[in-house]
Amino acid sequence: MSEHGTELLGAYVLGVLDGDEWASVQEHLDGCAHCRREVDDLRELEAALGEIPPEAFLDGPPAGGDLLLRRTLHQVRDERRRRDRWRGVLWAVAAAVVAAVALGGGALIGRATGPATPQAQATTSTAPVAGTRTGAATDARTGATMSVAVRPAVGWVRVRAIVSGVAAGEQCRLVVVAQDGSRWPAGSWLVSDQDAAEGTTVDGSALIAPADVASVQAETYAGLVLVSTSI
Amino acid sequence: MSRRQGATEEVLVRGLFEEHGAALLAYATRLAGDRSLGEDVVRETLIRAARDPAALTGGRGAARAYLFTIVRGLTADKEQAGARVDSMTMLSAVESLPSEQREVLHALYFQGRGVAETAASLGVPAGTVKSRSYHALRRLREAVG
Repeated sequence: MSEHGTELLGAYVLGVLDGDEWASVQEHLDGCAHCRREVDDLRELEAALGEIPPEAFLDGPPAGGDLLLRRTLHQVRDERRRRDRWRGVLWAVAAAVVAAVALGGGALIGRATGPATPQAQATTSTAPVAGTRTGAATDARTGATMSVAVRPAVGWVRVRAIVSGVAAGEQCRLVVVAQDGSRWPAGSWLVSDQDAAEGTTVDGSALIAPADVASVQAETYAGLVLVSTSI
Repeated sequence: MSRRQGATEEVLVRGLFEEHGAALLAYATRLAGDRSLGEDVVRETLIRAARDPAALTGGRGAARAYLFTIVRGLTADKEQAGARVDSMTMLSAVESLPSEQREVLHALYFQGRGVAETAASLGVPAGTVKSRSYHALRRLREAVG
């Protein structure tokens, strides 16, 4: 084997060299600590290769898997319907705010507690998680509207907000404000052209006890409060 | 938006099933010990993956390794504990090799073919097969540190 002939070491470790080449590599290894280390390294790797499950090299869909695919898609749709119900509550609240603004005009804070608002019942077939609190508001100054639902978890909250009336390109964040005034970030987003027209749905969470939540704010990164909703 | 998101999930699940279904079902069935349990595991695996599509963006090999990791977690397979390099890391590394190196490694190692047979089936000289196998191993070693 000339010089170190390292290019043969892979085939050597994989055990696929023929007798003559194997012998020449072996002879070289006997006198070359550098290549012996290289071989040790590669052997360790070869052992790790052997741990890969053989199934990992199959391709394509499974034979006779149609039923499995149908069931999986069915489950995906089921889960989506559950999410849509939760979302329906928000749209109902948002619609209520829009209606109220149309009637009363100007700045207005709409407020709903619990799942039992008439509007929510009108559009959702199932109540959201017990203890969910919702609120909505439009800020006359900025023109932004937010409807928000705060769903309690143990020691923290899930927040879903629909924010509309914000200009495209604005970088925004959602902040949960506690009774004591402390602020808990719950998410951030960039308003796209489509969002500017249709509103942005933001799913977030915050490490604040459900009972401590006072309000939810949407604000810009420049620090402007776009809209604040009491909960 | 939610409806669109839902439709995206369905498309994603279909795509994953087309590409990885056979591998996932075979693996899940072996670990779960039974085809029907294996199917349950695959269903749950695809649904979890569709919920977190960001984890699937690292290319085909990374996606498969990610899916296999979910299957392994769901079947509580402990056989891999203690291996120095996790088999899923290895799988991801193998799948991300340049295709000419992966083909050679696949033939020599996973299919147990000889150099001459591999060279003939890939239409390259035997010397190329040997050097590619070396470069494949080197690259894997770098990938898994």
